[in-house]
Amino acid sequence: MMSATMGITRSETKLFVRDPINLFFGLVFPALLLLALGLFFPGFDEPAADLDGARYIDVYSPIVLGLGIATLGLVTLPIILGTYRQFGILRRLRTTPVHPARLLWAQMIVHLVVAVVSALMAIIFARLVFDVPIPESPVWFVVAFLLAAASVFTIGLLVGAVARSTTSGQAIGMGIYFPMLFLAGVWIPRDLMPGGLRTVSDFTPLGAAVQALDDSWFGITPSFTHLAVMIAYTVVVGFVAVRVFRWE
Amino acid sequence: MPVIEVENLVKTYDGTNVVDGISFSVEEGEIFGIVGPNGAGKTTTVESVEGLRRPDGGSIRVLGLDPIRDRYQITQRVGAQLQESRLQDKITVGEALDLYASFYDDPADWRSFLDWLGLEGRVGTRYAKLSGGQKQRLAVALALVGSPEIAILDELTTGLDPKARRSVWDTIEQIRDDGVTVVLVTHFMEEAERLCDRIMVVDRGFVVAIDTPTGLIDRIGSEQRLRFRPSAPVDDAVLAELPEVTAVRRDGAQVEVVGTGNVVHAVTALLAQQRVIAEGLRIEQNSLEDAYLALTDQEITEEEG
Repeated sequence: MMSATMGITRSETKLFVRDPINLFFGLVFPALLLLALGLFFPGFDEPAADLDGARYIDVYSPIVLGLGIATLGLVTLPIILGTYRQFGILRRLRTTPVHPARLLWAQMIVHLVVAVVSALMAIIFARLVFDVPIPESPVWFVVAFLLAAASVFTIGLLVGAVARSTTSGQAIGMGIYFPMLFLAGVWIPRDLMPGGLRTVSDFTPLGAAVQALDDSWFGITPSFTHLAVMIAYTVVVGFVAVRVFRWE
Repeated sequence: MPVIEVENLVKTYDGTNVVDGISFSVEEGEIFGIVGPNGAGKTTTVESVEGLRRPDGGSIRVLGLDPIRDRYQITQRVGAQLQESRLQDKITVGEALDLYASFYDDPADWRSFLDWLGLEGRVGTRYAKLSGGQKQRLAVALALVGSPEIAILDELTTGLDPKARRSVWDTIEQIRDDGVTVVLVTHFMEEAERLCDRIMVVDRGFVVAIDTPTGLIDRIGSEQRLRFRPSAPVDDAVLAELPEVTAVRRDGAQVEVVGTGNVVHAVTALLAQQRVIAEGLRIEQNSLEDAYLALTDQEITEEEG
């Protein structure tokens, strides 16, 4: 059965790559966004007084990685799963010896690999163009990144579990995506958020993710709370997603 | 030996019995048709046989196995084409077949299908670019790629133009000739009449009849009608005296003779003897469609009356 899982993963990878929208938003958008912000906003790569001397580009690098994970987990993943349910692809798999859960795993693997490649591109761009350091606590950084992907992707899986079609997958996913981006600091960096809002942000998976990525990027051990928040979302949402998932 | 045995199958949705005590068996090597109006329970029945639905009552044996309990074995040995199921737009024919082949213990060499399925030269074509007929023939190929003993095809030709439909029919006959038992859900009577060895007519969750196509037609009478213009005057009484003839009517120059059994031979022999030529001869028989309408109508009248 190993070959079936590999076969599905290979096939889903090809299908993902054949969709230019997936490639743009899932793979290259974070790097492009960072580049655009740094090049077109005056003072973006200079020390800023309202960030206690940090540079906006430093603050935005982890945010952009969080945005990349959110786009894959909350936009791409639910649309694909909604489409597969609408097309009867999951139902058709049920008539074969291969359980359709393998298709879900394949999608998670593909999305994770794309997220990693996309993050590497953004990190390299930030380093080469704006002199943002390579993450200084690499082990914690990897832990934070994987937990971020796990917690956000399980939310996408839950959306995909209930979305009956492409459009409903898209609608529900977007409804979670934008508030999450807001709380992760895409429009107002977390450092500039009022205290109450920042606390709310701490308890969303993407807010916790961005802070844990930020800390480990600049050599600080991520706080237990942020790691625990991501683990809790992964376990609880993952459990619910598996319970409510319907194959048709 | 029956390969599928269904006894008293019941399936309930929202308190209504969509399938209400259906029993039938399918013999090895036959094409077994299931026909009936929309909502009659055809798809629910075959999806229960495939193990996609858990019956609320009755028993199902497929190749001696329980479709729910022995799910894995059933999926290895039964190939299915589902109604309203499609593939990813960007997957190619070859990729889809390779992928599905990797699911089975004993996959068929799908390249050998391509010719007779009319998909040769389409291996690299993406699903979205296939015609309706090609998509359906690919669905057949996917149902067969695990070398199944039984293929269950649900409304395979719905939405196809007549030419594509006929080419899919040839495909189905080929499958049977290769030794695969076929269960065919359809609402085209022409299709059922042409392909099926036996047909089960279902209506509102009940079995109305199970018989051969000819057997079903005979149930509503095996009357035949001959219409022709005689080249010379013929005496109606002489025609009516033939034992096979039940009625003789005239419509201007047209003669219509109604009869049973060997009436066509009896009438043409009589005309030949009298040196009369039957010009514009047309013979009409009851079709399966007539039988189907009579059988399903009868059910409605029985229920309402």
